[in-house]
Amino acid sequence: MKAPDIRVERLVKRYRSSGINAVDGLDLEVMPGEFIGLLGPNGAGKTTLISILTGVMRPTAGSVRIQGHDIAKERHRIHRLIGFVPQDIALYGEFTARENLAFFGRLQGLDGTTIRERGDRLLDRAGLLPRAGDQVRHWSGGMQRRLNLITALLHQPAIVFLDEPTAGIDVQSRALIRDLLAEIHAEGATLVYTSHHLEEVERLCTRAVIVDHGKLVAEVADLRTGTGHERLEDIFLHVTGRELRDRS
Amino acid sequence: MIARIAAHIRKELLLLLRDRAGLALLFVMPVCLVVIMAVVQDAPFRDFSDRQVKVLFADHDGGVVGQRIREKLERSATFTIADGSGMDADGFRESIRRGEHQVGVIVPHNASAVFDARSTAALEGIFAPADSSTGPLDSANVQLVIDPAVKHALRQLAHASITAILAELASERLLEDMHASLEEMNGDSMPPLSIAEPFIGVRQEMAARELAGDRVAYDSTQHNVPAWTVFAMFFTVVLLGGNMVKERSSGRMLRLLTMPGGTAERITGRISAYLLVCVAQGVLLLLVGIWLLPLIGLPRLRTTGPDALLLLLLAAIVVALAATSFGVLVGAACRTQQQSAVLGSTFVVIMSAIGGIWVPLYVMPPAMQGVGRVSPLHWSLEAFNVPLLREGDLGELLPCLVPLLIFSAVCIAISVVAERSASYR
Repeated sequence: MKAPDIRVERLVKRYRSSGINAVDGLDLEVMPGEFIGLLGPNGAGKTTLISILTGVMRPTAGSVRIQGHDIAKERHRIHRLIGFVPQDIALYGEFTARENLAFFGRLQGLDGTTIRERGDRLLDRAGLLPRAGDQVRHWSGGMQRRLNLITALLHQPAIVFLDEPTAGIDVQSRALIRDLLAEIHAEGATLVYTSHHLEEVERLCTRAVIVDHGKLVAEVADLRTGTGHERLEDIFLHVTGRELRDRS
Repeated sequence: MIARIAAHIRKELLLLLRDRAGLALLFVMPVCLVVIMAVVQDAPFRDFSDRQVKVLFADHDGGVVGQRIREKLERSATFTIADGSGMDADGFRESIRRGEHQVGVIVPHNASAVFDARSTAALEGIFAPADSSTGPLDSANVQLVIDPAVKHALRQLAHASITAILAELASERLLEDMHASLEEMNGDSMPPLSIAEPFIGVRQEMAARELAGDRVAYDSTQHNVPAWTVFAMFFTVVLLGGNMVKERSSGRMLRLLTMPGGTAERITGRISAYLLVCVAQGVLLLLVGIWLLPLIGLPRLRTTGPDALLLLLLAAIVVALAATSFGVLVGAACRTQQQSAVLGSTFVVIMSAIGGIWVPLYVMPPAMQGVGRVSPLHWSLEAFNVPLLREGDLGELLPCLVPLLIFSAVCIAISVVAERSASYR
């Protein structure tokens, strides 16, 4: 039996300032090649969980292993294995697309030739090659989102974390990003994907996990087959309730 | 690791190259500051060196005393003389008040007569005390009118110069009269009595060897070029700190934190990039001092040779390290770009004011001189002055560099701890 790519055990993250457990004893396993949809209402703990899984945030208790490596001790090794697409545009607007790819590619230890070859292939796939020499700040939001995504794929990571990669973009860009993610998944990568677009999760992911109040409250398997379960939105509302979460 | 640091260096330099306002702040502003401050401070610096004091001279005497005072003033390299004899008293005074001349010298109408009478009385007191008159002698005063805007040192210079000239005139006259009396007593001609030079002379020299054959080592250029180079290097804090905060508050930092390489590599990359920028600033301002300032009539920046240039380069690198380390500290400590810009620039302006950048430390009150010595900008200026002014060697330069290196190490250590605790909390 294959070992999980991600193993989370009794994970707790307590914010000292508020005294709240943003993640509260969460367990999760993600097998190689899975495409997990990480869902939850605002403030449920998704971003905190992703931050811990990517080594940005220190857990208060519990353990996280990425391909067997303990994140508390081997963060730098894990950073070679993962790619991360943040919710905000994580690019240098003053740089061209190629310069952005070159900078982040160098940090991943890629040589110039590899960066050029893979970079141009990804730029072409994302429909950005004709504007590859322009400064990114002059681009549309959709183009920036696409570059934001392919920047995280340049070093061909085994595991990709995506924090709402399609937020606030046009339909065409969203469709292209969905296609790209499907391709990466088909090539064997493990993906962890947070989104408020439940229909996207249903269409792309193999499994959905729903988090609320820092706990895993539901899991929905076999999403693509669409059999054996209700609509994802109904399940989501059933386990998290209809109460609005954006009140202070 | 080296490749990642190189990537960070390239990134910082590229960000700078794409920021026109930032480039102007780093390179155009210091050139303007050096030129403007060197021009503005040229006159005050010359007051202490080779500036000619403009004297309005009114000779109401018309005799030998007025004539000799004028001759001696003209022979001095310190004064340029304009004739004000034809002016009325109010016009003469008004001309000085308006600053057209710094000093007015009025020789009274009876100067030569009083001079003759006093000389004769002095001689009678020596050779024929019995015949000497006991009645009061007339008196006369050469009047000095001083521009109210000139410094105390200049007033003293004018007063001391006229007093010395009058004393010299009296000595010469006494010797001439004694010579005549002795010839009359002996009935024979005698060689003239004269003092070719003072019995005890005064010799002045710079503590350092004269630079390039010039008289004075310290002038407006020699102060302002290193001073504003130090200021410009430290002022990179505005850009460096701002870029750090901008990166941290954007998604870019989140991406960087999920990639290989840690805080130390990012900070090393930043410091290395801005170190290059600071050294480039130093070279540019050095060239401004050597080539541009002489074109607008200011003294040329003087350097003493290849050894001094090597020491200057070493000083520039260490000052640049201190400046960029401080920039990194501000960037790590501040939460917003506004905070970093205000905090960084205010600190640099205050530290430069008390550290002797605007005006040399030696013209400040003693208490301020003590305060100024805690400023890293003062240590930086001293580091530049060792090769530029004092002709010091490495042994003299090191005591200036050590505090800067300690300052840099403290800034970097705090920055790394602050960045790490903020990025993995």
